[in-house]
Amino acid sequence: MKKWRYDSARDLEQAPIDRLRQFPREPDMLIYGLRSLVALIIRGLLRIYNRFEIIGHENLRTNRPLVIVANHCSHLDTLCLLAALPLRKLHNAFPAAASDYFFQSVPRLWAAAVIVNALPFERQARVRQSLALCQELLANPGTILIIFPEGTRSTTGEVGEFKSGIGALVAAKDVAVVPCFIDGSFRAWPKGKRLPQPRKVRLIAGTPRNYRTRTADKIDICAIAAELRNAVNELRPSNGTC
Amino acid sequence: MSPQIALHDPVFRAYFLIVLISLAIGGAVLGFLRFILKRETASLFQTYCSWILMAGIGLLVVFLGRIPTIAGVTLLSIFAFKEFARASGLYRDWWTTGAVYAGIIVVGIASLISHPRGEEPGSGWYGFFVTVPVFAIALILLIPILRNRARGELQRMSLAIVGFIYIGWMFGHLGFLANARNAYGFLCFVIFATAVCDVSAFTFGKIFGRRPMRSEISPNKTWEGAIGAFAVGMILPWVLRFSFPFFGPRELVLAGLIVGIGGQLGDLSISVIKRDIGTKDMAATIPGHGGIFDRIDSLIYAAPLFMHMAGYYFPLK
Repeated sequence: MKKWRYDSARDLEQAPIDRLRQFPREPDMLIYGLRSLVALIIRGLLRIYNRFEIIGHENLRTNRPLVIVANHCSHLDTLCLLAALPLRKLHNAFPAAASDYFFQSVPRLWAAAVIVNALPFERQARVRQSLALCQELLANPGTILIIFPEGTRSTTGEVGEFKSGIGALVAAKDVAVVPCFIDGSFRAWPKGKRLPQPRKVRLIAGTPRNYRTRTADKIDICAIAAELRNAVNELRPSNGTC
Repeated sequence: MSPQIALHDPVFRAYFLIVLISLAIGGAVLGFLRFILKRETASLFQTYCSWILMAGIGLLVVFLGRIPTIAGVTLLSIFAFKEFARASGLYRDWWTTGAVYAGIIVVGIASLISHPRGEEPGSGWYGFFVTVPVFAIALILLIPILRNRARGELQRMSLAIVGFIYIGWMFGHLGFLANARNAYGFLCFVIFATAVCDVSAFTFGKIFGRRPMRSEISPNKTWEGAIGAFAVGMILPWVLRFSFPFFGPRELVLAGLIVGIGGQLGDLSISVIKRDIGTKDMAATIPGHGGIFDRIDSLIYAAPLFMHMAGYYFPLK
């Protein structure tokens, strides 16, 4: 009789908290189930409470790796972008989250790891390593990366400068980049407020772009970041503030 | 079982005191080792703190009543199975693990509801409870057929069935005990006695341990530890006789055998699983103890044996 091979999870010896910090994760049915359930509830709440609306739905429908780039002024942004994806793609969608903010205190860590499936992104030191991790993920088809290239939530509602890292991630690579604009999230849940307000929130998804013809040198990377910023900003509805 | 009844129940109140006293004795011994003999006790202290936490949660859940007890046992089964699935690699198969989770929840439901036509006294549907494995195994075997897959399915089915029967159903007996007429006596005795036997096996092994008992399975377990735990297990039912005043000598001896030998067999059988998988602990959920599955291993063996022994000689409900 041939010996059975047990394919154990790699993190058996780790305490539960360390397991939440680890990436890539090895979730089981319970986590998937809980995540899908909470996603359904969040979708319902967004629809009712924030009258959430998606424009350009079809731009997010693809079976190839996808990078979603959006403006950022609220925690609602991540939830809105996740709510725009099909449920079965949820477990392959990784919103990049600042590891110094989301991966420290236990409740945030739990929410980031279990509910949002966030990718811990080092925004101060070791940015390069985090970008390499993103590259690795993009090698599997079906991966969706959600990135807010401003690097933090805007406190004015304006779209800030995009960090050049986003350029480095997509330059010379055959991945679709979809610029998105989230309108209303600044009024609904600005930075510093405890709870969201019942304001209307809209997600506008632009047409996918591809930067495979561009080189990965410094000038091109910065140019791509600037282009993406303009692309996101152009999606802003004329009457919207953010 | 309810908080009001628990407050006035002499058995529950006695166990509350006994647990407090045992923890105090444990603490005193630990303090003696640490401050008088100057031994290194950091890891023991961690284990002890976890014991305090678990004793508190356990007492609280039993105090709160029947439904919290059954729900708590079901949750423990779910998390213990999760650990087993992660260690054995079964967790990669969503469908099969999902079927086992569903089966575990059905075990919990069977313990909660009463017989639909009222043919059984009291709460808990015993007839369904003991036949849940039939339906759960049928469901597990159905999954490869529905998915039209054969490769590696025998391994998955076997792991799922072992996981369900061993963790979901056998451990689920502890929840069903909450329906017994003498629920406080049975529950508190089984949990407390297996815990004491575990601790005494460890202590006797540490002090007198020479001859390894099963070198291929668990190198740290010794004959001396096993015999010490067995002796403690045989004495305990007589000391705690107030938990089941209707038990005669025959039942007391059987209860002693079940906690004294059964508990250790449970420990060894999970060691076999861990040895074959090649891991030390199933997880690191409880500091100083390993995973939940590592902690409940002796109860998995002792609880069903005890329940069926008691149910054979006396009407359970």
